[in-house]
Amino acid sequence: TARDGDRARQRALCVRQLARSSARFSSGNIAVRAAAAPVLSNLRPFSFVASSQRTRWIEQTRITSSVGVFCRQYSDLPPLTLETIQQRVMYVLKLYDKINPEKLATSSHFMKDLGLDSLDQVEIIMAMEDEFGFEIPDGEAEKLMSPQEIVHYIADKNDVYE
Amino acid sequence: MGFKITRARILWVIFCSFKDEMTAATRNQVLSLYMRVFRIARGWQSTLPQNTEGERQYIVREAQTLFRQNQQLTDTESIKKCIDECVARIEIGLHYRNPYPRPIHLPIMGLATQKGRKLKAQQRMRKQANPVYLQSHDEDS
Repeated sequence: TARDGDRARQRALCVRQLARSSARFSSGNIAVRAAAAPVLSNLRPFSFVASSQRTRWIEQTRITSSVGVFCRQYSDLPPLTLETIQQRVMYVLKLYDKINPEKLATSSHFMKDLGLDSLDQVEIIMAMEDEFGFEIPDGEAEKLMSPQEIVHYIADKNDVYE
Repeated sequence: MGFKITRARILWVIFCSFKDEMTAATRNQVLSLYMRVFRIARGWQSTLPQNTEGERQYIVREAQTLFRQNQQLTDTESIKKCIDECVARIEIGLHYRNPYPRPIHLPIMGLATQKGRKLKAQQRMRKQANPVYLQSHDEDS
């Protein structure tokens, strides 16, 4: 299509300019050499890596499928699993200064085993909220009394299945 | 977003053994106020951007110290006074965008004379002049 042709021409222009400018600065750069020999193949998307020490270029890569269709990469967090949730919960708890890290286990109760009071429990729940990025409402927050329960609750909220 | 932030101090009922209905309700109230203060501190934006981080830490620290300080109170009146103090500080802080409590002047003839005879009356006067949001603070500074 015409739009693809325009885009391809623009890309060719950029590559040629880049090749000219960066060829002056760093001739030993492999990427420059690759870019300095532009071969436009028929409007198919190509990946070029532009890196120069003097100028700042953003790296662009496109996944090419056999059809020549663009495939976008959306940025998102890696999916949660039960193990990662548990690791993060235990990590946050170990960082809390009122908890003894040796005594900490997955099934240890905050009040009975670790000797914390409910103010500390509120602070722990706040830290979990900060870690996982979603708000835990009041009524359910005060029922979470051990790391295992916290892990189950977060897994419920985020639809993480075993 | 309209995320208001204020600090409040809450009187904290002793955790554990009270089976009384009244105490359970105040306990939940206290805990939710504590959580509310923390949420406020999380999204606090100061009027001057360079003070934002310092004021956030101040809010958290102040809440922690004052809640711990009043943790052991048991009679309902003082608990209610502390809850009022907390709510007052929250509202005032959110309204004025200033988490620090506003100190007050001494009342007239509020300090003892040279002869020291008026001490008790002046103590009462000072105590009465103390606003609700300064209840947990001592008279030191």
